[in-house]
Amino acid sequence: MPTITIDGKSLEVAKGTTLLEAAQQLGVYIPRYCYHPKLSIAGNCRMCLVEVEKAPKLMTACSTEAFEGMVVHTASDRVKAARRDVLEYLLINHPLDCPICDQAGECGLQDYYMDYSLAKSRFSQADKVRRQKRRAVGPQLVLDNERCILCTRCVRFCSEVTKTSELCVVERGDHSFIDLKEGKALDNDYTLNIADICPVGAFTSRDFRFKQRVWFLKKTPTVCLGCATGCLIEAHHNENTIYRLVPRPNAETNTWLCDPGRLTYKAVQAGDRLVKGVIKNGLIDLEPALREAAARIDEARAAVAVLGSPWLSVEDNAALALLAKDALKTGNYCFDFNTEQGIKDGILINKDPAPNTNGVKLVKAAHGGLSLEELSRRITSGQVKVVLAEARAAGFIKDALKAAAPRLIAFASNRGEIPAGSYATLPYASYFEVPGTFLNYQGLRRRTAPSVEAPEGVKPLWAVINKLAAYSGTSLRLDSADEALKGVRS
Amino acid sequence: MISVKKVNNKPLNLLERIYLWEIARGLLVTTGHFFTNLFNPAGILTVPYPEKTIPLPGNAKFRTRHRLKLRSDGSPKCVACFLCQTACPAYCIHIEAAEYTENSVEKYPAVFDIDLSRCVVCGMCVEACPEDAIAMDTEELPGGALGRGELLLNKESLLRNLPGEPSLLGASNRLAGEYLKSRGER
Repeated sequence: MPTITIDGKSLEVAKGTTLLEAAQQLGVYIPRYCYHPKLSIAGNCRMCLVEVEKAPKLMTACSTEAFEGMVVHTASDRVKAARRDVLEYLLINHPLDCPICDQAGECGLQDYYMDYSLAKSRFSQADKVRRQKRRAVGPQLVLDNERCILCTRCVRFCSEVTKTSELCVVERGDHSFIDLKEGKALDNDYTLNIADICPVGAFTSRDFRFKQRVWFLKKTPTVCLGCATGCLIEAHHNENTIYRLVPRPNAETNTWLCDPGRLTYKAVQAGDRLVKGVIKNGLIDLEPALREAAARIDEARAAVAVLGSPWLSVEDNAALALLAKDALKTGNYCFDFNTEQGIKDGILINKDPAPNTNGVKLVKAAHGGLSLEELSRRITSGQVKVVLAEARAAGFIKDALKAAAPRLIAFASNRGEIPAGSYATLPYASYFEVPGTFLNYQGLRRRTAPSVEAPEGVKPLWAVINKLAAYSGTSLRLDSADEALKGVRS
Repeated sequence: MISVKKVNNKPLNLLERIYLWEIARGLLVTTGHFFTNLFNPAGILTVPYPEKTIPLPGNAKFRTRHRLKLRSDGSPKCVACFLCQTACPAYCIHIEAAEYTENSVEKYPAVFDIDLSRCVVCGMCVEACPEDAIAMDTEELPGGALGRGELLLNKESLLRNLPGEPSLLGASNRLAGEYLKSRGER
């Protein structure tokens, strides 16, 4: 356990700790481009140079291990001069693209220039070395070699995290640039992370490109509902529109975020977003649709079947359970889903595409219910006249619905989800618009936070269920999502 | 230091307290203007704004209505960097960016709206612009419209520069021509 001194403060660190990590523990920030906590050490950007007493030259903090008795200075004049020189060197050939660069506002070069340099350029703009400008590499990314500072974070990401090794540095010395390996395309499931870790604007996202300047974006911490992994994310939005999702690195679940997960926000703003009810195939206003659905439920009462959904939050599932058990007093309800879970590709994507399979188990423990097979059997036998189900969960009882053809009342947020042959479809607010509790595959509680407002008239699902109950002559009297959770162990 | 000015309000004398004489004196001024305007319309002091405006003094550096400048190929200089929208204290600029597929400039404004009814004519947008693409030198004072719609400038009207000018290039060329003439280059 070596003890070292950084800027006059002593600290005992574990053997093998680098100076940069030790400084971080002390709260001393050392600027860096090539260093990333989850990638191997490259030591090529030279931005983290620090002064170590008795060492003849400045040392790179990211790759120097702490030894007993080391005395480190991170803000001496020599270090400051070195940072200024490294920045000048990186900026000699960096294009003046800031006005058209998406990275502007969260750019390593801009930030460090303001913090550590502020020097006038001694080189003329006309002398800058020109390189290949924007070029689409893969379905998600644009590469601009002129902006690259060759920190090789992207190369290391592809070889160490996804292990697909699509990128490499070609040529040598000041001719070198980042390129795709021959015959490869940058099309793995994690490419957008490269746009995140790129400290400059060399890699930018094609999806986010030119949509919004980053300084306008507001950030809401929430959860990705793309699969059972339940990655923590941040939704970046402005004026009621979500523009991108980025990961919130955490020790339990994720450092990165997969591309399909990043694009889940699209459904919220998609053109097929449901803001009205659908009866058979025709759109009608929400109120008449609710009344129609409620009338069908009222006719059937005990012959109604209710199916929970692993795509819905614990609250909304609990509201469905209360509707079946307390309001309709039917025994035909099912909260029994046992999809196989586990990380499919060794990084993040889960075998279970639904985000809340574990959360539904809580509702089942509190309210009981049939097994999925038993519910299918009852539907097939014809004793069920009306089925209430979330659109995607209706896929679990597809065959039974086809065989017996009961009236299906589905809950969906987008038109594309509506199952074939559904009698009525009622819209509900997405979990980017209302809060909801989810349990990921590790059993960790994940709560979504609303980042945008739901379209006018579209209510959270528990409120839709509450109205259905009231209109069908029974009553739930739910005033909030939390009330539905009564009796459910959280 | 607050400067204090002593005002000596004289009490009204008898003639003023009767009022009638003062009213007659006021009417005399009004009638005087009426007959001057009737027989000598050229001497009217007021201007029927906005149909007519008084030309601004030639050497005055006023901030007037915005315009977007053009490159020599006729495309707008603006690259939709949003800095004017960021700097605007009145939130009157609305931009939507789009991408050139061929051009090396890459980015251009598909929508560029300025709401003059909100604009406070502070000139921050001109200060902020890194491309020197927006200017407030049309010598046309915003205001005097019958509806809000007339005060909403879109990209086309900002590029046209002056009302009633037929081509997109016309006004920029005219302003550029005037500038060159003033420097004795044309």
